[in-house]
Amino acid sequence: MSKPLRRLYWFFALLFLALLVQLTYVQVFAAPKLQTNPSNTRAIAAEMEVDRGSIVSADGTELAVNRKDGKYYLRDYPAGDLTSPWLGYNSLRYGRAGIERVYNEELSGKSGLLGITSYWDQLMNRTHVGADVVLTVDMKVQRAAAEALGERKGAVVALDPRSGAILAMVSYPRYDPNEIDAVWSEINNDPGTPLVNRAVQGRYPPGSVFKMVVAAAALENGTVTRDTTFTDTGSVKAGGFEVNNYDDRVYGEHDFAKAFSSSINTTFAKVGVALGAETLARYALDFGFNTELPWKMGGAVSLFPSAGEMDKAHLGQVSYGQGEVLASPLAIALVTSAMANDGLIMKPHLVSRVLTRDGGVIDEATPDVWLRPVSSDTARIVSELMVQTVKSGTGTAAALEGVQVAGKTGTAEVADGEPHAWFAAFAPADYPEVVVAVVVENAGTGGGVAAPIARQVIAAALGL
Amino acid sequence: MSLRNRELVFLIPALVLTTLGFALVYTQKASTLTLTSLTYGGLFMALFLIAHIGRRFLAVQADPYLLPITALLSTLGLVVLYRLNEDLALRQSMWLVVGLVAFLLVLALVRNLNFLYRYRLVIGILGLLFLLVTAIFGREINGARLWVDFGPINFQPAELGKILLVVFFAAYLVDIREALSVSTRRILGISLPPFRYLAPLLIVWALSMVLLIFVKDLGTSLLFFGALLVLIYVATGRFFYVLVGLVLFFAGATLLYYLFPHVQLRVDIWLDPWQDPSNKGYQIVQSLFALAEGGLFGRGLGEGYLILQSGRTIIPNLETDFIFSAIGEELGLVGAVGIILLYLIFTYRGLRVAVQAKQDFPRLLATGLTSIFALQAFLIIGGVIKLIPLTGITLPFVSYGGSSIVANFVLLALLLRASDTVR
Repeated sequence: MSKPLRRLYWFFALLFLALLVQLTYVQVFAAPKLQTNPSNTRAIAAEMEVDRGSIVSADGTELAVNRKDGKYYLRDYPAGDLTSPWLGYNSLRYGRAGIERVYNEELSGKSGLLGITSYWDQLMNRTHVGADVVLTVDMKVQRAAAEALGERKGAVVALDPRSGAILAMVSYPRYDPNEIDAVWSEINNDPGTPLVNRAVQGRYPPGSVFKMVVAAAALENGTVTRDTTFTDTGSVKAGGFEVNNYDDRVYGEHDFAKAFSSSINTTFAKVGVALGAETLARYALDFGFNTELPWKMGGAVSLFPSAGEMDKAHLGQVSYGQGEVLASPLAIALVTSAMANDGLIMKPHLVSRVLTRDGGVIDEATPDVWLRPVSSDTARIVSELMVQTVKSGTGTAAALEGVQVAGKTGTAEVADGEPHAWFAAFAPADYPEVVVAVVVENAGTGGGVAAPIARQVIAAALGL
Repeated sequence: MSLRNRELVFLIPALVLTTLGFALVYTQKASTLTLTSLTYGGLFMALFLIAHIGRRFLAVQADPYLLPITALLSTLGLVVLYRLNEDLALRQSMWLVVGLVAFLLVLALVRNLNFLYRYRLVIGILGLLFLLVTAIFGREINGARLWVDFGPINFQPAELGKILLVVFFAAYLVDIREALSVSTRRILGISLPPFRYLAPLLIVWALSMVLLIFVKDLGTSLLFFGALLVLIYVATGRFFYVLVGLVLFFAGATLLYYLFPHVQLRVDIWLDPWQDPSNKGYQIVQSLFALAEGGLFGRGLGEGYLILQSGRTIIPNLETDFIFSAIGEELGLVGAVGIILLYLIFTYRGLRVAVQAKQDFPRLLATGLTSIFALQAFLIIGGVIKLIPLTGITLPFVSYGGSSIVANFVLLALLLRASDTVR
């Protein structure tokens, strides 16, 4: 009599068991994947309820602040587009970029001790407060750099060679992070790529600014001294490839110092070939090429071909920064900082301190050596050559009254259009406080276009 | 302990839990703990005490576990509703009062199951009429025509209709049980019962299916189908009928799939909601997100991301069909499993009534009522956790919905009456 009923009960029990299995699967096993699904706005919504930390420049300018809307904290960026390439955005719809993304854990109070108090706040139903992030960027330098570059495609990086602290980082074109939700698709499809931070993500042929690396390698290696003499006939054959000077100039007899300050391609091709592919590739690596940047902000790895990939023709070309060598403006600034800092390259950093709202220090950046590519003697000689470049060579447009500027121009030939204009510099030459690297895309010569920009940035950084 | 006192004892944890829940949500909303937050719990404690006392007098021997389970389910639903939407919670609590009144009324009026058996035809016709009223006067809400306006109150007559029809099926099967068990005819080697016995049953059943499909109430039609199948199986003890039913079900389901675009859509969304997670698949995808957010222990009452900035719920129909997802997010797997186990215990106690019955009618009645209850819980929970395609029905006693609450209290009263009769 009750056999069908017993079967019926087991049938229902089986149905409910299926519910339990599926429920456990969804709530436990599939949960991590569901929580990070792009359609799931809960995680972002949860973080938008946090009173997010503000982002402040070294001089105390607030760059990212909160505006409360209902229970959510939304971001305002008082500096507008000026800082967008690296400050990024924090959007309910499009997620995050830049500092807002990289330091999200800190800003939303999820890292360290704040992460623990976050649970407490949740329990107490209090608004969780994130950590403030203080940058190394000096808005005075940042503004000067942006003004100097103007509305030309390119980038400017200024850093302190003694500590690696980034003082300014400008990229053009940019976007207004306050309008990110409205202009997202437009800037995403913009051929000018305003979302790209050219200062660290841009990879350009460095042209003659790369001669800093070649000169340092040759001097350190003993291949040349500053007085080694060369004779220029306007062209030289390197493995069947004809190397010419910029503007087809002929320099005749000259020493290595002159070759550097006047940026003589033929001589550098000879020096490069004399150094050999292996040695040059090793020095390029020592200067940070083919190496990830030692910070959380990411960016493009600068490229130098391996020794095996280079025949004489390639070697000749890369010796004056053409061919298969590519570098970001930040990478060039770091190369330059070795000359300014006794042969040491410090780790770059954009964040100096992470603070609790009441000023407690959670994290503090300390200067740290990244690379030691050359000796301090070599660095000093190269910096003297760079001083000469600004005094009487291709970089005279960077000269400032009262301060000795050291620099190197670059005019990087590209497949079509005008060359990219480069300038790498530091000042004051004998006790360097600031390194500047400038690139302006398809704009002409480094000495004519980029050097004046570097000059303005240095002036701002030194408070002239 | 006597059965009566056992019920009283089991009511206490249910009501303590509820009072705590209310206090929690209230505190979360008002940021202070006041006496007001405790009054809600006290109020419902009083209501269920009245129901308990009424039951003591009206159905002395009835099962002592069913009412406490109901109390826990319905007040827990109320707590969650209160957290989601205070207006709805207030209306639901009024419906709860109406439901409890209906519960006592049914217990008072139906003192004897013979009464139901005697009027089985009237009940069957009444049940069909309820469905017919819906089909004719129904107003479409959320793609299904289930609502009938009675002045300011709108009601879903199908909720009550389905209980009446189950009573009818149970009673009618008592009449023809013998005939069904003894096959007289053989067609293609299969023994079949005389058609004339089966005809009235099949006609009423077919009519109700047609009406339900007409008003696009897939959930209830599925319930109906399942309940009748179960009843025939228990009445005859012949698995053959279940096989026939399953074949019919798959044939019918395939037919519906190709005939009705909304059926097709439901199935397609179930198969792959991720194809269109922000539009067609939105509801189920958001339900899964809510469950995932809840994890093992839940975010806590009032702490889930259930209400959007605009004030709407993140999952459409969260208060009705998807209330289980809200529970999953805020009370976690632990709470959600608790709910499922409550339904399982209810099912077990309900079927126990049937097992204990010595007469056919109480046995089939208890089986039928328990089956629609269990199936309904399974269909909606399975729907919102993407185990099966979603059918828009309520989670018994928990979802917002006046007709559903009242109908389920009527169901409980009939089950307790059956239980009282068999002891």
